[in-house]
Amino acid sequence: MTPITPATPASKSSEIVPQLKNVISVVNLGCKLKLMSIALKAWNIEYNPKRCPAAIMRLREPRTTALIFSSGKMVCTGAKSEQLSRLAARKHARVLEKLGFPVKFLNFTIQNMVGSCDVKFPIRLESLFLTHQKFSSYEPELFPGLIYRMVKPRIVLLIFASGKIVFTGAGSKGFEGVKERAVIYEAFENIYPILEAFRKK
Amino acid sequence: MSSRVCRTCGGSDIDVDQARGSAVCTGCGSVLEDNIIVSEVQFVEGSGGVSSAVGQFVSADGPAKAPLIGSGFHTSVGKESRAQTLQGGKRQIQQLGSQLQLNQHCLDTAFNFFKMVVSKHLTRGRKTEHVIAACLYLVCRTEGTPHMLLDLSDLLQVNVYILGKTFLLLARELCINAPAIDPCLYIPRFAHMLEFGGKTHEVSMTALRLVQRMKRDWMHTGRRPSGLCGAALLVAARMHKFRRTVKDVISVVKVCQTTLRKRLTEFEDTPTSQLTIDEFMRVDLEQECDPPSFIAAQHKAKMQQLEQQLAQKLDDVEGQISCYKDEIETELERSRPKLSGIYAAYAKEIGRDGRRPPVATATKTVNISVSFSEPEDAKALPATPDLEPPEAEDDELRAAAQQLTQDFLCQVIQEEEGRGEAGDDSGREEGEGSQRQAAPLAAILGKLPAPVSLGLQQTFDASEASEEPGDEPMEGGDLDLDGIDDQEIDKYILNQEEVQVKTELWMKQNAEYLKEQQEKEERIKKEKEQGTYKEKPKKAKQKKEPILASTAGEAIEKMLEKKRISSKINYDVLRDLNSRGTGSGGGSSPSRPAPDPPDATTATRKRVARRRRKKASDVSRSLAATTSMIGKRVRHLISSTSKKRKTAVQEEPPTAPKRDATPEPTAEAPPEQEAEAGPALPAPPPGPEVGEEEEEEEVEEECVSALQLVGDYGCEEEEVF
Repeated sequence: MTPITPATPASKSSEIVPQLKNVISVVNLGCKLKLMSIALKAWNIEYNPKRCPAAIMRLREPRTTALIFSSGKMVCTGAKSEQLSRLAARKHARVLEKLGFPVKFLNFTIQNMVGSCDVKFPIRLESLFLTHQKFSSYEPELFPGLIYRMVKPRIVLLIFASGKIVFTGAGSKGFEGVKERAVIYEAFENIYPILEAFRKK
Repeated sequence: MSSRVCRTCGGSDIDVDQARGSAVCTGCGSVLEDNIIVSEVQFVEGSGGVSSAVGQFVSADGPAKAPLIGSGFHTSVGKESRAQTLQGGKRQIQQLGSQLQLNQHCLDTAFNFFKMVVSKHLTRGRKTEHVIAACLYLVCRTEGTPHMLLDLSDLLQVNVYILGKTFLLLARELCINAPAIDPCLYIPRFAHMLEFGGKTHEVSMTALRLVQRMKRDWMHTGRRPSGLCGAALLVAARMHKFRRTVKDVISVVKVCQTTLRKRLTEFEDTPTSQLTIDEFMRVDLEQECDPPSFIAAQHKAKMQQLEQQLAQKLDDVEGQISCYKDEIETELERSRPKLSGIYAAYAKEIGRDGRRPPVATATKTVNISVSFSEPEDAKALPATPDLEPPEAEDDELRAAAQQLTQDFLCQVIQEEEGRGEAGDDSGREEGEGSQRQAAPLAAILGKLPAPVSLGLQQTFDASEASEEPGDEPMEGGDLDLDGIDDQEIDKYILNQEEVQVKTELWMKQNAEYLKEQQEKEERIKKEKEQGTYKEKPKKAKQKKEPILASTAGEAIEKMLEKKRISSKINYDVLRDLNSRGTGSGGGSSPSRPAPDPPDATTATRKRVARRRRKKASDVSRSLAATTSMIGKRVRHLISSTSKKRKTAVQEEPPTAPKRDATPEPTAEAPPEQEAEAGPALPAPPPGPEVGEEEEEEEVEEECVSALQLVGDYGCEEEEVF
């Protein structure tokens, strides 16, 4: 009886893990806001009612941008992790609180996450497109990367010839945002063997 | 035409003359009809003696409209909106397609695509122009013609990415997988446009070979095919001694100069570029290069690594230098003469400011030893007791001491500055830690880039961390101030003066917007006074509720209720018909009465009816059956209503236990309502099961004449009552 070592999944053995690059979250501040007065009282807030009906607040650390609407809803983008996104949203809310509004922090939800990684080998996008036509969309005239819409888990991957992969929930019909980072890891596990098949020998 | 009886003489011998269009009685000679409408082909002589048939062409796929009768109302009358859309689309396709020199087959295919698109309601919210262009491009791709999306966008003067978006969406919705573009397709077209005369073919061949080589060298993945073609053609032209400049090529190929130069540079980097022309035509190198983007990424990674290494080395060197500095300073301290009086005070100050290791109590003592001991002897000095009383000093010594201290002061000041700089450098090298203020630790940790080797660790951390949000107490809506530094927040808020300044600036910038708002308000006020103010109702988003149903049939019924499939069906009546139970067989409009079936098939029908009774009045399935069997239900209905009658009359006793109670009482009520049902499609009895359908099919095979249909309806009415 010779002992057989269990086969490890490809990605684990290669030690590549997708990194989170951006987390987008929304929170309800629970009160109506006067955007004009807010914009005038802080130096990191800009407000251009003609262009955008929301005030834009930028925080230095964690480096994030928040869109604040007069209804009291706020969208926070730019954070590198879920915890940082929550912290940033709280800081934004704190600024508003200091400006004199009775803010609350209701229904904080993560809407989408963007991750990326590098598999470190070139990928033949044309062949991948040929075999996975059902899931992929590759138009070099329009975009240099191949857009792969994975069904399980429901996530969109942008695959480039240089071996870089971007994971995101596109937010379009049928592909809502990525709510948890485990989804990204799962997607990577699924796509890695496929990519290896189209590796440059 | 049935033979008619003459009005005057009663004779039935009537002569109809098609040519004259009259019907005359041969008995008495009275003209019965004049100007009969005939359906014969007539010929008309046109100019030049050419006779042509009188009439219009009605196309097969056009609208089934009646030809213009009488005064001929134009277009809109009698045409459906759908037909209009299709006609307009066809016209545009022909127009655009002819500009692209597409053949008729392609245009027909494009029109088919367009029809599919319209039937899937994908034209809503999109310009027809864009949709047409996308359909045409779809055809180009499936047929493999050398047309680029750029050509279409040129013709329409629309941004190519907008067209691309529409094209991608249509391709996805129609499930048409267009094969990837091959740059080789474009070579002949561009070569032709570059006018190489007789040698066009040769140049094309060379360019093709070049493109194939580029493909093998991974240069074409993710790139616009036109750019590659441009580069290949340029090189091929030069190889065949044609002088085509970059400008000529880019005007044909539609890429910009930078792109072309970049492609040429990339090709230069491949080993193939080193071959001579002859070698290239004969030999094929085995080695394949990496795609340029991959090479660039590797290069970048290397640079980063190098930088990191350099930074590390600098740190090390810094460390060494500071060590040396310290040693030198200690040596100097020891070797430097002891000061007295004012100088001692100065030395004290230096001792306080500088971060040098304080030279213990030596500074306090005023002991200017004559021997400016050299560094070697410096070690011996501290040992000597420093608490000697100051001795008489010579002026010379004093002056020398002064000089020394001044030098020393300068040196120390320099050292301090240097130290300050070094501190900044190290700070910068560490990362973004340039802020000397106390920042929360978590924030600093968050900034450091996580090396890949710690990836797994990170996953574990992440998984642990992800549990935390669950553990956090559900905030009752209050803002949790944990981890937020108030000072930091306060820095963002402006004080009074700053607010004023910003207000001024903002008002100036947004003056127009404020004016518009004011005008709008005034307008609203006026309208309110006049009473003509129409407030724009804000569309409350109708949230699509998910359909909850226990069975598939129920779900279909609910779906039908919500989603109206056709405008020709009166859904309320449809529903009523079925809910009244299948025993009634879903009676119908007066136009579809039940026939009197021949007795031969009674037995089969009895069987079927019995079965049907078992499943009768299953409301949830009735509508489902409706949808699935709407097509062929006419005859079925006819037979079913008869069955119902038969069974009601004959089968009552035996099938009583099997029958449901509901059909019976309702069977009498319906007919009145049925008569007034209106234009409702007949609802068949339930039973979408295959077995039943097979039997029903058998039943349907019998043909029922119209007379029977008409005649029987009267019978039905009588009998039911």
